[in-house]
Amino acid sequence: MLLLAQAPKAWHRLFQLKPPALPRTPGGEAQHVRCRLLSRQGPAETGRQDQPQGPGLRTRLLITALIGAGLGGVWLAMRAEKERWQQRRRTEALRQAAVGQGDFSLRDHRGQARCKADFRGQWVLMYFGFTHCPDICPEELEKLVQVVRQLEAEPGLPPVQPLFITVDPERDDVAAMAHYVQDFHPRLLGLTGSAEQVAQVSRSYRVYYSAGPKDEDQDYIVDHSIAIYLLNPDGLFTDYYGRARSAEQVADSVRRHMAAFRSVLH
Amino acid sequence: MAAPSMKERQACWGARDEYWKCLDENPEDAAQCKKLRSSLESSCPRQWIKYFDKRRDYLKFKEKFEAGEFQPPKTAAKS
Repeated sequence: MLLLAQAPKAWHRLFQLKPPALPRTPGGEAQHVRCRLLSRQGPAETGRQDQPQGPGLRTRLLITALIGAGLGGVWLAMRAEKERWQQRRRTEALRQAAVGQGDFSLRDHRGQARCKADFRGQWVLMYFGFTHCPDICPEELEKLVQVVRQLEAEPGLPPVQPLFITVDPERDDVAAMAHYVQDFHPRLLGLTGSAEQVAQVSRSYRVYYSAGPKDEDQDYIVDHSIAIYLLNPDGLFTDYYGRARSAEQVADSVRRHMAAFRSVLH
Repeated sequence: MAAPSMKERQACWGARDEYWKCLDENPEDAAQCKKLRSSLESSCPRQWIKYFDKRRDYLKFKEKFEAGEFQPPKTAAKS
């Protein structure tokens, strides 16, 4: 708008610009060639013969700066509009992912049916493992609940829901899960289901698992990928933590995500 | 067979740690640690013992590897 307002005046004044670097005699009456192609304003101009004709350098600079500022403003406005449009598209994609992706249909260790929507509004830390695990699962779960306890102790932070999902549905039924989770944290929720349901949730979270050969006691170890997954209150996968991260590092990361969180679902 | 409880797990890990400590102290003579071995076998499920043995082999190999004991063979380049 600034540009449009300035335009007539600026263009008008441009026509009065003299060619530069012509020497002037004191008194101003033209002794040098003047470009008569440029029209003059009329009688009012003639009275100003002894003064420098047309806009001076300062005025020209000012006009250029104003035009430049006007163009810059238009460019910034267009860029902001483009960013807003991109942001809207991103938010829409996230909203669809929040609802559609990573959903599961499992049973918790009290026998209640659970799906991802049940945890909407909460931060979730989830770990995939199995109850017959020799050392890794207990260690990772211990780390996970340590993170939960650390964050619980901080006022002003929302509570984090710890989840343990089995990759051994054959052995880890509801009773086995209940027996297992009680050793870690009162809010740790164990989730199990049929082989198809476990396969489905593992696919959603890209979890590899493979039951090993059974020995004489019908016992076996399930090889599986090891990671703690963080879901935000919209149910979107936000981060993951491997064996190498300590409880403090995980807690720090969760805190940072909490501070940066903006919901896409309301 | 139910999974070991936390107490049973910790008993098993304790037995494993004792056994491994004994093996570290007697690198040449594993027979010294027979008693600890049988204690391990009574505290832990068989699958776990197999797993721990493999784990120990791996950790020993890793130590040797990181100490540089395995050098690539100096064969003539074949291309």
